[in-house]
Amino acid sequence: MKKSHIIAIVIIAIAVAAILSTVADSSTYASFSVAAEHPKKVYHVVGKLNKEKPQEYNPQVDANLFSFYLVDMDGKERKVLLNKTKPQDFERSEQIVLIGKMAGDEFHASDVLMKCPSKYNNPKEDMKAGVKS
Amino acid sequence: MQPDIQYIGEHLFWGKAGNLLIIVAFVASLVSAVSYAFLLRTNDISWKNLARKAFAVHTFSIIGIFCLLFYLILNQRLEYYYVWEHSNSIMPLKYILSCFWEGQEGSFLLWMFWHSILSWIIIWKSGEWEAGVMAVISMVQVFLVSMIIGVVVFGHKFGSNPFVLLRDHPDFANFPFIKMPDYLSQLKDGRGLNPLLQNYWMTIHPPTLFLGFASTVIPFAFAVAGLLRKRYTEWITPALPWTFFGVMILGTGILMGAAWAYESLSFGGFWAWDPVENASLVPWMTLVGAAHVMLVFKHKKTSVLSSYLLSILTFILILYSTFLTRSGILGNTSVHAFTDLGMTGHLLIYMAFFSIVPIVLLVKNYKQISSSQDEHLSSREFWMFIGMLILLIGAIQVTSTTSIPVWNKIFHANIAPPPNPIEHYNSWQIPVAIFVCLLIGIGQFLRYKKSEGKVVLKKILPAFIASLLVTVWASFFLGDYRVHYYGLLFASVFAILANLDFILRVLNGKMEHSGASVAHIGIGMILLGALISNSKQQVISQNVKNVNLGKDFPNQENIFIEQKTDTLPMGEYFVTYKGKERKGVNVIYTIEYFTRNKTTGLKEKAFELHPIVQTNDRMGNVSEPSTQRFLTRDIYTHITFAEQDNSDNENSTGEYQPAKTHTVAVGDTFMTSNSFVILEGLSNDINRSEFGMNDSDVAVGAKLRIEDMKQDIYHALPVFVIKNLHVFSKESKVDELGLKFSFTQIDPSTGKIELTVNEKKSNKHEFIIMKAIVFPGINILWMGCILMMVGSIMAIRKRIARK
Repeated sequence: MKKSHIIAIVIIAIAVAAILSTVADSSTYASFSVAAEHPKKVYHVVGKLNKEKPQEYNPQVDANLFSFYLVDMDGKERKVLLNKTKPQDFERSEQIVLIGKMAGDEFHASDVLMKCPSKYNNPKEDMKAGVKS
Repeated sequence: MQPDIQYIGEHLFWGKAGNLLIIVAFVASLVSAVSYAFLLRTNDISWKNLARKAFAVHTFSIIGIFCLLFYLILNQRLEYYYVWEHSNSIMPLKYILSCFWEGQEGSFLLWMFWHSILSWIIIWKSGEWEAGVMAVISMVQVFLVSMIIGVVVFGHKFGSNPFVLLRDHPDFANFPFIKMPDYLSQLKDGRGLNPLLQNYWMTIHPPTLFLGFASTVIPFAFAVAGLLRKRYTEWITPALPWTFFGVMILGTGILMGAAWAYESLSFGGFWAWDPVENASLVPWMTLVGAAHVMLVFKHKKTSVLSSYLLSILTFILILYSTFLTRSGILGNTSVHAFTDLGMTGHLLIYMAFFSIVPIVLLVKNYKQISSSQDEHLSSREFWMFIGMLILLIGAIQVTSTTSIPVWNKIFHANIAPPPNPIEHYNSWQIPVAIFVCLLIGIGQFLRYKKSEGKVVLKKILPAFIASLLVTVWASFFLGDYRVHYYGLLFASVFAILANLDFILRVLNGKMEHSGASVAHIGIGMILLGALISNSKQQVISQNVKNVNLGKDFPNQENIFIEQKTDTLPMGEYFVTYKGKERKGVNVIYTIEYFTRNKTTGLKEKAFELHPIVQTNDRMGNVSEPSTQRFLTRDIYTHITFAEQDNSDNENSTGEYQPAKTHTVAVGDTFMTSNSFVILEGLSNDINRSEFGMNDSDVAVGAKLRIEDMKQDIYHALPVFVIKNLHVFSKESKVDELGLKFSFTQIDPSTGKIELTVNEKKSNKHEFIIMKAIVFPGINILWMGCILMMVGSIMAIRKRIARK
């Protein structure tokens, strides 16, 4: 066997390992109920903000704690705690992706990603701002 | 049929001219591609003339389109959708260019523009290679122009046209006002540029990055031309300087993006392994590999196959990166991908065409290309080859994780990106960087073909020992540090010192031969700077007042500062929030940093920082950090939360702020700005004579227990009264806390009551919440960038001169 063959085998093995690590390190998009079954695992939960329920952020008391209610894709609602400041324009988000784990009845999010209508094409929203009333 | 409407105030000439030029550019590139293909076959000089003329027409059309679109944006012609979508009148003039390439169409134009400019250097300089290379590049241009052509063929729309009128755009077609002749006068303004892009880096980062993208087409075109002409190895030498040019420009473009992220994005750092960043890093890694195996060919006449593979792969990866960022497939996973313009299929065809054609050619000519020579273990080419493979593994890993949304589409899976992407990528890329650094250090001392092991060892020994000493010395103050960080620390220092040693001892300081060494020192410094600033970054804004949520859920990274009253310790500093000032769309905050004088013990002002919140009603406010730069470290500060002025508050009169309403049941708690309030119970035991009430009237009191931050307890008893069918509330005040409670409603069905709270205006203190991070050693990284550029220019100049 030539050196180049040995090297080729080693390289392919490492490349396969790299691809497997993508799967191993990845998270899963899940619902609250799935996250509740594995409270130690980090999940991505996609859902919508419940604008009826209170969002609590009292920076004077705790600048790094923001809580709100999210309804996941299955329609299940949970209280969410975020250990950060309240994100900018939170109310305007159309869809929210939480990254974190379930802790009892609450979801502890270490990060939120928001999809805001304005950052994407939504002329209806834009027209309200763009047309003289 | 729609009746013709005479619209008022439109300037349609420019758009028509633009559309005409797009068609001309498309046809001209097609003519050029075909003519160059015939020239390649027949060697008939008349084809050459036609091809060049067609390409000249193409180039002028592209420049014309560029100027027209620029003119429209500059003059705010809102009848054009692109102008409306990406610009507005309040935006400073200096960001006009950023508007131009904010959209897909503008950035495609930029890319085509660079292709045409680079092509003229090819036509001018590359002699016999012109036909083959230009046939490929012209074909690439055909596809690129088709991305902005915007015509409908068989019910499919091809491309997105930058000159589409607002009233023709599908998003607007259903608005009644758009049918009015004077619709233009009803349009107030454009949507405006995304506030994130309103930064000076955004005027130079995209052109540089796209020049880098454009330069990767040249080694690709040379490789394909080599296959077409069956001149299997001769293409490598003329393509080599271009490949290094691409390495330099693309590398610079990526680092400019990092500088933009560091200065104006608030994720806190210069690299976040964002999919869009990755998409341009991966082709750079394979391009570096291509450049080095081509270098091996130049000296040893081997590595032909890998030169082909990497040159072709790099361009395919550029197309893949275009696909990832422009098809909308990244969706939730990236902050700065383009929006989907329905080009996915089109982009896939583009990618497939330029992947399949070269691969088929390669397979057909495989016998002539492959070599079975085995390199000696001690040769320079062997280790360059290994280095290329390591880069390739790095590229595969980054691509694999970045492509998670693609895997989900293909396999109908539902996996999400790693929750901690930086950890995930670093666990692979740090070992890659370690190996690359070691090879960079040793490489120069190895000879092509075969080296004497002992001689090499002796030569690298000084740098090796010095790096070991540096690492041991550093370990004293780095303390608890992970093993692979130490590995990279040693390897990057070794890469720097070994190359420095090479310049001084082997080249005797002769700078004209030291381009490669200088560039390699630059790479070593970039990695060293990235390592130190990332691994030793420290969030100094530790908030201690917080409710502790436990170790698993730390919440202390942002500090709360009240204006004028607080002086808070933060690392070795003390900070105060002095005030804010509004300038146009920007709110500029002033943060003062103090240090304690060691001899007097008094606090002395060290510096002031001015982080900004850019207000944008439509796209949301954006926080821009401010950084104090020192030689050895940066203090990075940004506002994570600040209440923006609410005009209602300012206008309301009296000593109280507007009321807040709470609906509560007995036992519930709610918060005010300075206390917790518990509804302990309801009471009928009210002094009714105070109100002069009858027996049929109602009076209920809400017993409130109020606990402030010092845990002092206060009580309040607002009363709900119905007297002669009139409802009113008797207020109850807690003056110590500046609170006023009213009891406004009872819901008998749920037992819940409604309380309103007014707080005194003096309760409201202007405050900000901010985050401050110390980045040590980041200047090593920026200096490395400059050295990498300078070294590359030196090396390319020497290569061209040698020819």
